[in-house]
Amino acid sequence: MVNNNHVGIEEHRAYWSMVLPAFSIYLFVMAFPIVISIILSLSDYNGGRMFGGEAWRIIGFGQYRKLVSDPYFWLALKNNIYIVLISVFGQLPLGFFIAYIIYRKMVRCGGFWQGVLYVPAIIPVIVIGILWGIVFSPYGPLAELMNSIYAHGFEDRLNSIFAGNYNMVITDGLVHRILDICGTSAKEIFSNPLVELKEFLMGYSPSETTVMKNDLVNLLAPTWNADFLNKRDIAMLPILFVTLWCWTGTYLILFLANMQKIDPQILEAAQIDGASEGQIVSRIILPSLSGVIMNAAILCISGSLNAFALIQSMTAGGPARITQVLSIYMYESAFMGAPDYPYANAISLFIVMFSFILIVLTRKIENKWGGKE
Amino acid sequence: MSIPKYKTHTPGKTVLSFVMKLIVYLIMVTFAAMAVMPIVWLILNSFKTTVEFSNNMIGLPDHWTFQNYIGAWKIGDFSILIGNSFFYTIGSTLGTLFLALSAAFAFSKIPSKATVPIYGSFIIGILLTTQSLMVPIFLQTSQLDLLLGNFLETLGILRASSFHLFYNSRFGVLLVYIGSALPLGIYLGTEYIKSIPKALVEAARIDGAGYWRIFFFIIFPMSLPIAMTIAIISVPSFWNEFALINILVSKIELQSLPLGIYRFSGTLASDYGKQFAALVIGMGPMLLFYTVFRKQLTKGVSAGAVKG
Repeated sequence: MVNNNHVGIEEHRAYWSMVLPAFSIYLFVMAFPIVISIILSLSDYNGGRMFGGEAWRIIGFGQYRKLVSDPYFWLALKNNIYIVLISVFGQLPLGFFIAYIIYRKMVRCGGFWQGVLYVPAIIPVIVIGILWGIVFSPYGPLAELMNSIYAHGFEDRLNSIFAGNYNMVITDGLVHRILDICGTSAKEIFSNPLVELKEFLMGYSPSETTVMKNDLVNLLAPTWNADFLNKRDIAMLPILFVTLWCWTGTYLILFLANMQKIDPQILEAAQIDGASEGQIVSRIILPSLSGVIMNAAILCISGSLNAFALIQSMTAGGPARITQVLSIYMYESAFMGAPDYPYANAISLFIVMFSFILIVLTRKIENKWGGKE
Repeated sequence: MSIPKYKTHTPGKTVLSFVMKLIVYLIMVTFAAMAVMPIVWLILNSFKTTVEFSNNMIGLPDHWTFQNYIGAWKIGDFSILIGNSFFYTIGSTLGTLFLALSAAFAFSKIPSKATVPIYGSFIIGILLTTQSLMVPIFLQTSQLDLLLGNFLETLGILRASSFHLFYNSRFGVLLVYIGSALPLGIYLGTEYIKSIPKALVEAARIDGAGYWRIFFFIIFPMSLPIAMTIAIISVPSFWNEFALINILVSKIELQSLPLGIYRFSGTLASDYGKQFAALVIGMGPMLLFYTVFRKQLTKGVSAGAVKG
């Protein structure tokens, strides 16, 4: 008995000396912050010393009422839901599709494609955000690329107008045709386009056709307008695209690794029985991956609710807050301008609860439809 | 019977018509180009001067310059930041490994009533993303420093304002990083160590070995594969981490590489040349890591995707 008891104490000591360090750090980083978040979201604490400073007290659910009636909160939530949707219904199917192509050996060197497509996922998110922010900026490379495409198109049409007109006879009809292809740009430059453009063209001698065409292209070619990026909903498109761009590779790897675990004999048997490609996907691959797909969906949801670094570095929620998501709104409430800690904590708690609800929902769906394997 | 038709090619492989094959390759090339081109574009442009970039955004550099890198390295204090990044990444990875594996050993090999609730709480933690708690974590760390500083000041040990244990301190960053990586590490570790036969531990116990001894000399060497997996998936996430260190540290001497790169998008946003160089410096180490550990990383990612 005595000996047994001694062993018990030693076991006890060893157990706690192994578990307690990890558990206390975990409590410090996850559990306490949640408790703090709950308390502060119900309080009127506004910076300063939390202990022994200006007194603050619990005042109730005012912050949550404010949350519900705050249009910026709903906008941020909507944008967040867009990101969740593109993640679950964009990244996952795309990743699955590419994984399937590699798995079924429809292309050679599967490892190479997998390696290349995973590259975006390994780069720091900050780098990705800044890089794509530059690409999509109004004077960035995308705008330049589009402008050069427009200019080429314009030049081609100019050439067709001037085709055969070697003597540079400037008629009213010719000027009209040029004006037709310019769209609105001519009206912005000339107050009386027909007369002024004609005069302008008269200024060139017949030997200067190329120079004239170049000048016309520079002056009148339509330009790419990135204004649409200032509109609600549409402004989220670049962010959604980048979300797809950088994390699809992760799911490709995940799905491919699990497809490769499927017993090849099952596939062989199916093929011998004459199963079509569609049947193989729906009867063999999808059922055996259903658990993995659900896990991936959960991973997606909890990741996409926290797309902080990407959006902060790409648009920082701008222009005029239209690309804001919950985590950015929380960050701004706490750290930009006058700090509103109770409100920021209410948003923080909302994110935690919301992701839990979505994940539980996903689990429910899995139990309902995924259990038919 | 259609069996003979299938005997001619390797089983498990699809036969596509030439046109289909072309389409499939076209799709793959498009995706691969989409993935790599922006990165290649970035690297190329880091060798252009800012003036050349604004005239020629898409083509190759006319004359290659290394000046951006020299400038960015100096302005960004990258020699300090890279050192910090290495410290945070290595420190957090080692810390996570040690704490996660020792706890995992206790959970799976030492019977205790506490295992169910504590292990369960770690599993819930896999779902939680620490980022969403950045505001309370900031308040907690900075207020604890104030509290402890005040206490030490009343004892006459030091001035309260100079006391930093959790906020603006390397220790604080490590603590938060390790805490957010522990749930996944513990889950992977526990599942792995469960598969090690209990008889090994019992035999060592009969020989009189203590649990820590068993952990260091038997369990740890046997769990090296899972330790490798945990390390491989932790390293990129620590190295690339931005949201948490952004609120935990304000002094430049303590910042990591992502924070330094982010500074370039603010005040120096118009100096594209240096900004591109900074971005390349930021992704270089991870690209290198990826080329070396590609196989292990691929395995780790599929093993680590266990949320829920």
